Amino acid sequence: MQVRVKKPLTVDEYAKQGMEMLKYYESGPWPSHVTELKKTKYPIEAYAAGLAAGKTMWAAGSAKIRYVYTGFIARRTRDGKISELHFRVWQPSGYLYSTEKLRKLMDFADKYGLGLLEIAGQQGLMIISIRPEVADEAVDYLRNVVGTDIGATGDTIRELAACVGPALCEFALYDTLEARDRFMTHPKIYEWMSNQLFPFKFKAKFSGCPFDCTRAVHRADFGFIGVWVGAPEVDQELLRKKIEAGEVDPARLAANCPSGAITWDPEKKELKIDGTRCKKSMHCIRAAYPAIKPGKERKIAVVVGGHVKGRFGGKMGKPLAVVNSVEEAMDWVVKTVESWTEYMEKGVVKHKDRIGDFIMKVGFKKYVTEILGLKEEKKPTLHPSLRAGAVLDDEERTMWANWASKLVEEYFGRRP
Amino acid sequence: MTADPVAQRLQKRLPVPYTEWLPELVRRNVGKWVDRRFHGYGIIEHISSTGDRVFTVKVGTPPNFRMSTETMRKFIDIADKLGIGGIKITRNGNLEILTDSLDKAVKIKEEVEKMGFPVGGWGPTLWSINSCTAFLTCTTAVVDAPSITKVLYDHLKPYFTGEVKLPAKLRINVSGCPSSCGGFTSDINIVGHYGDAPTYDPERVKLCLPRSAKALEAGHVPEVAEVCPTGAIKVYGKPDGTVGLDVIRSKCIACGRCRDVCDWMDFDESKIGVAILVGGKASNTGRGSMPSIQVIPWVPAIPPEYREIVAVVKKIIDVWRANAREGERIGDWIARVGMEQFYKLLEIPVTKWNKPVAISGEFGIRQFGPI
Ligand code: SF4
Ligand code: SF4
Ligand code: SF4
Repeated sequence: MQVRVKKPLTVDEYAKQGMEMLKYYESGPWPSHVTELKKTKYPIEAYAAGLAAGKTMWAAGSAKIRYVYTGFIARRTRDGKISELHFRVWQPSGYLYSTEKLRKLMDFADKYGLGLLEIAGQQGLMIISIRPEVADEAVDYLRNVVGTDIGATGDTIRELAACVGPALCEFALYDTLEARDRFMTHPKIYEWMSNQLFPFKFKAKFSGCPFDCTRAVHRADFGFIGVWVGAPEVDQELLRKKIEAGEVDPARLAANCPSGAITWDPEKKELKIDGTRCKKSMHCIRAAYPAIKPGKERKIAVVVGGHVKGRFGGKMGKPLAVVNSVEEAMDWVVKTVESWTEYMEKGVVKHKDRIGDFIMKVGFKKYVTEILGLKEEKKPTLHPSLRAGAVLDDEERTMWANWASKLVEEYFGRRP
Repeated sequence: MTADPVAQRLQKRLPVPYTEWLPELVRRNVGKWVDRRFHGYGIIEHISSTGDRVFTVKVGTPPNFRMSTETMRKFIDIADKLGIGGIKITRNGNLEILTDSLDKAVKIKEEVEKMGFPVGGWGPTLWSINSCTAFLTCTTAVVDAPSITKVLYDHLKPYFTGEVKLPAKLRINVSGCPSSCGGFTSDINIVGHYGDAPTYDPERVKLCLPRSAKALEAGHVPEVAEVCPTGAIKVYGKPDGTVGLDVIRSKCIACGRCRDVCDWMDFDESKIGVAILVGGKASNTGRGSMPSIQVIPWVPAIPPEYREIVAVVKKIIDVWRANAREGERIGDWIARVGMEQFYKLLEIPVTKWNKPVAISGEFGIRQFGPI
């Protein structure tokens, strides 16, 4: 066993060695984050030192901005040398920007920050390191000049994601962008988002169709996914043309339908879809669009309690209801959040319990019937808890290291 | 009521309606898109019922989507010069530059490639590698996701550009710690962890504990113990009246939640590694949405090259390419052939941390049955 000399975990101790290591990431065919960081005033030594030490240098810091209780992330290195204050920023629905708006955001990042952004975290846009002495002014600049506001962190309504939907997607079955706009401005949501009063974070996601580009099935306390009723709509004429042109193979279309809903009549040259079986996989639609399109009767499937972080590991969303509009579900959203918070006061829900944990604790049936006052229509699929990690002893660790080294040999050749 | 005008900040200035943020050509065509065409792996044409067309050029971005304003301004200039004055940032951190003709789209592609940025990430390709911030910002990171992501991208770039074809879409997530900020719905999911129960800095961990044992008597459970899902953290009063903390190794599942709330929980950096999970997807295609499942509990994470991680990821992709049918994502393929077969092909040893789980039932909207 190699004996490591323990050095104090400070930026200065490790920065030099780390800066050497970082050079490696400036080469290679893919655009480099290190190259980007170096174009800005970012204090890259903290990152470098972390890499050399095998530990992140960052610990929680603190900051105060008048009347702003969420949306900024304060950090300082463990040795106290460097501190940072990142701003999350509320994004327009769909994250589609005119260059005019983008330029304003760049001006903002240059004027108040270090000239660096994280363009799309799970939480939307983050402006890296606002200078604390101008943080107060920065908030006003965002509000008055850019036309948005500091975003969300902590135990509150977080970044809400909508797919690009009707702005640039043919498949959108409802207006995800408008739905997100309305959700954000719903009086209760709007009131909640200025404070941190929840047990943990709350997210909602709006996907226009079953492709679910926002990953609403897993990454949202409330997920809204566009669906249609029954069978996809077939334009037989157009489909025949596509078949003749060799663009679509009807036999394969039928064979690849995961629900076996499609039959092809080679005599009549007709494709039939059994709407009672269709699982809305989008397969035939993607392959033969626009000859095959989603059906005309459109709905929104609401799934609840999905999340990544939470006390008992990640969870997939559970089936709540199929509705005609997001508005129809707003009362349930409000009731869910209110009782989630209430149960924290009662001590049932603990800090860091997501809504999925809360539902797990009270039981899905009780949640649906007693808390929401609905009929329980569908039972959720149970699944193994989603998590990663292992507690290994040295022997097991060695076994896996040896297993991996065989593959390293296969791809990199034998170590000299 | 306060007269302080700053108090108005309590009323958020939200970027609504979204139409105010759109480039003009898109604003005119909201809800009117009727068809799409593909021109290679990174250029997509959207056709509106008004006859308008928008072409998007999809650009790969650096790990953790970190970008200097200097580089962003270059993209913005391109979007003005050759495009319609609009850029979309995708959920996975790619940039889509919008224009109105194929000619201009091809020119944008050239300009972007000249800057050293790849175009691709659509269709049966690697769409993006989603990396958390890890050592760049995060307090709980165990491994540095952005540098792992960079190395993976360097090795897998031909899968992004479409030079080498894949059976179906591939999405990779890299998370720096078991909090798994990348989520569980990616085809290959790499998650850093300690490889053991956490340790702690005995002095500094006191910052996460009440100062006096009296608080415990009153029934208070400090958050660092409270968040542990398995009760592996015990706090107790010491004879000198202060509070002590113990981690019961046999109960710990290395979930990292204690470290998530207490910066002074610690680990032995010689044991760090990553777990590899496979088969997750959000989309309802194929077998439907599925979570990714841990198949390899630990391989070492050794910077700067991370050879072990690269080799395992390449192997998974190669085995998938050799065995899957066209259009089958990793999870769909594994669901068809069975987890046991997947283990066999990769010669993965089975231990208590990666017992093959048979997922039964369906997720997402399929739980509703036929709609
Ligand atoms: S979820 Fe569906 S509607 Fe939304 S962008 Fe993706 S494919 Fe389009
Ligand atoms: S949408 Fe999917 S499940 Fe429905 S008919 Fe088409 S291929 Fe079959
Ligand atoms: S890593 Fe998770 S299981 Fe282990 S002690 Fe910490 S909170 Fe408990």
